[in-house]
Amino acid sequence: MSEKTKSVCDEKTYEWIYNNYSQTLRNFIYYKCGDTQQAEDIVQNAFVKLWNNCSKIILGKAKSYLYTISKNEFLNEVAHKKIQLEHQVYLAKGSTNESPEFLLEEQEFAIKLKRVIANLPEKQREVFLLSRIDKKKYSEISEIVGITIKAVEKRMSQALITLREQIGNI
Amino acid sequence: MESHLTDNTFLARWISGDLTPEELETFKKTKDYPIYKKINDASQTLDAPLYNKLELFEKIQHENAIQELIAKPKVIKLIPNWAYGVAASIVLAFGVFYFMNGQTHFETDFSEQLAITLPDFSKVQLNANSQLDYKSRQWENNRELTLNGEAFFDVEKGTSFKVNTTEGTIEVLGTEFNITARDNYFEVQCFEGKVKVISSATNNEAILTQGKAFRIVNNNAEVWDFILDEPNWLQGESTFNKTPLSEVMTSLENQFEIVFDKSKIDVNKRFTGSFTHSDIKLALKTVFAPMDISYAAKGKNTILLVNSIK
Repeated sequence: MSEKTKSVCDEKTYEWIYNNYSQTLRNFIYYKCGDTQQAEDIVQNAFVKLWNNCSKIILGKAKSYLYTISKNEFLNEVAHKKIQLEHQVYLAKGSTNESPEFLLEEQEFAIKLKRVIANLPEKQREVFLLSRIDKKKYSEISEIVGITIKAVEKRMSQALITLREQIGNI
Repeated sequence: MESHLTDNTFLARWISGDLTPEELETFKKTKDYPIYKKINDASQTLDAPLYNKLELFEKIQHENAIQELIAKPKVIKLIPNWAYGVAASIVLAFGVFYFMNGQTHFETDFSEQLAITLPDFSKVQLNANSQLDYKSRQWENNRELTLNGEAFFDVEKGTSFKVNTTEGTIEVLGTEFNITARDNYFEVQCFEGKVKVISSATNNEAILTQGKAFRIVNNNAEVWDFILDEPNWLQGESTFNKTPLSEVMTSLENQFEIVFDKSKIDVNKRFTGSFTHSDIKLALKTVFAPMDISYAAKGKNTILLVNSIK
């Protein structure tokens, strides 16, 4: 898709933006607030705003516009709410050849991990989850969060150290 | 101290697979390696709660549609912003000129009437299709107006009050009077006080007292008496006293926005009576029936007049 010629006001372009960016945007806000409903409301508002201002925003800026709007709205709405993240647990693929004990152990570990992830500082958590769940590269995360790649790497490393400390020995 | 604790991007590079083989080998030998590996493996099996992408998009589109209904349509500017500045300057310039000049202008269209209060609280009632001009600056010292059409004046006491018309000049000191001054017709009725009338066509001069009226018909001055407190047209009726038919018809034309075809009748006949402003059919009947004139619509707003056959 050519970024210079397409107008955000064009419905096909708008849909393309939605299909490409909405999920990560929604997850990103979810990692911050831990509330899917709130995250989706914020995403909805951001896209409505994008549509209202579509004549002023070029396609190349649409993504960062969405993130900026969403982050601002999140900051306006959320007053340091204790968050509770709920993660779906993937059952390990091809789990048939694992022993029941192993599976149980895996599940217990996953539950423990979820709890410590939820307790991570917001800055570390969003970087960690964007990387591990949304499989974003550090360069993309730096763009989304609005920090340098170096800072992303620091937060990522710090997140792992924190998780390791919290989870203790196995 | 192990490098994954001292180097603050070490673990991040391990996750992204950017460690050198030597670094990776050393890291694998540390006692923390298995637990980091386990954290990493487990975290990759996590997923954010599912969300209905399509449903959310439908919600957004619905909201967009509502917003578009409420909001103004998207506009492309045809007029650049600076044009508003220019326009405002022009308006301002005219406004300044207008106030410096102090000229005030009123006019009524067909079947309109207008009540005007002058700066000294004298009152003017302007009948249909008439124009009035005066200078509002220094009004108290120079009470002078220009009239074309018909108007009733209730003048407050003060210095000389003068009404100029193309047909003549009226000068008073605090009084009430009615003027009709149109092309070739000039009539003044004095309702209170004293009025001095000078006809420009004949140079006739007349001083009217209460209940006296004056007019110029075919360059002849006529004076007559009437008994009225104020002109009837203020109450929605026009009254005439031996008035030339041509003037009565002009008055009808002004009230009802019609045009008469007068070619087949004698417009110098005199009419005494009145007509209402509220009903055109009744008005035409009251004027033309006593005059033995038939009338018929001829095209839009034009009325053909012919003498009735006896």
